[in-house]
Amino acid sequence: MRNLLNFLARYNNLIVFIFLEGIALYMLGHGNNYHNSRIVNGVRGITLGFEKRIYKTKSYLSLHDINVGLALENAELKNRLERQPKNESQGFLSVSDSLNKQQYVHTSAEVIENSINRQKNFFTINKGERQGIKVDMAVTSDRGVAGVVVGSSPNYSIVMSVLNLDFKLSARIKANGYFGSLSWDGKDYRYATLSEIPQHVLVNVGDTIETTGYSAIFPEGVMVGTVNNYEKYGGDFYTISILLTSDFKKLHFVDVIGNLKKTEQLDLEKLFK
Amino acid sequence: MINSVLRFGLIFILLILLQILLFNNIQFSGYVNPYVYIMFILLLPVEIPSWLLLVLSFATGLIIDFFSSSAGMHTFATVLAGFVRPYVLRVVSPRDGYESGDPSMSVYGFRWFLSYAILMVLIHHITLFYIEVFRFADFFRTMFRVILSTIFSVAFILLIEFYRKGR
Repeated sequence: MRNLLNFLARYNNLIVFIFLEGIALYMLGHGNNYHNSRIVNGVRGITLGFEKRIYKTKSYLSLHDINVGLALENAELKNRLERQPKNESQGFLSVSDSLNKQQYVHTSAEVIENSINRQKNFFTINKGERQGIKVDMAVTSDRGVAGVVVGSSPNYSIVMSVLNLDFKLSARIKANGYFGSLSWDGKDYRYATLSEIPQHVLVNVGDTIETTGYSAIFPEGVMVGTVNNYEKYGGDFYTISILLTSDFKKLHFVDVIGNLKKTEQLDLEKLFK
Repeated sequence: MINSVLRFGLIFILLILLQILLFNNIQFSGYVNPYVYIMFILLLPVEIPSWLLLVLSFATGLIIDFFSSSAGMHTFATVLAGFVRPYVLRVVSPRDGYESGDPSMSVYGFRWFLSYAILMVLIHHITLFYIEVFRFADFFRTMFRVILSTIFSVAFILLIEFYRKGR
């Protein structure tokens, strides 16, 4: 017993140290779940109110750019509406079945906290469970993909940005439909990397890259970026550097997209795996 | 006693506010992320018991983690910095040894404070940046980030210290 006490007295710092580092490591290991824990939500609630105020002040400086972006998006949407009736007018359609036709619901949200300088970037938006935001919903900016919701509290959600080493997205070359996996290499916030495109495919600088919709998170055909340059990687594949169309440095208004048919798709896919 | 608790409480709050409101918003090319809050660990009195130093480091890291939504990263790095501080103090010890009180620039001089700050910040930043990336694939690029950020952190810490000394 006395030996034990002596031991403890001698190494008490080391023990405290290892204990505290153990807690830190535990938190590191459970990094993605921790947003859901109640205490953290409480603390985040306090700090978010604070951050929201800072962000509001800052956003005044870029109001003009935001307005231009929104106006352009509005024009684009109006154009899409104009095109709509032509596609629908073929044949008879007596029942307007809104449940079956609509696959995606869009919710507009504001980014209130954002970072681009870490290796694992997240941003926070001002909508949460009460506004229908759920984990695994897609987030797009007015120009292209922005991220995926990874956690939500009643009024806020945390979104994993494209600029996160853990972010993976299935994307394809619009011109020929070959798809690969998009990820961020942690270097520059303007560029991402598209891999797994076979070398026999014709790739040109400036080609449009869009989402495939295979993952049931992003709708098909959302803009991702354009080909910046490409090089051969190993024997079979290209590594393509993509210039992202979303400007993460001035992310402000985002669109959260929920897929109404997601569970149906996933359940069916699960049957055959 | 109460006086110094109040004083360090104030320094603590000021540094954390500075970190969250100012330095976390510096987004300069993705290579420079100064983490100035580590200065709190630097400034604690020499004679502080080690366990208290560790607990305070833990609290500092935890708060920064909460505010920058990075689970455990800052906690781990700051606790490590708190653990090695006595050894760093021994390595850089001035000729006449330490008196009790703050290890500040006004007492031990600029050169002593500079080497102390560089060592501590470097240890903290190396741990932090490598945990953040969590792989050795881009070893040299991460090292480059560590070195650049260390330069900026130390520069800001020196600025704050000069300001404290000047008062």
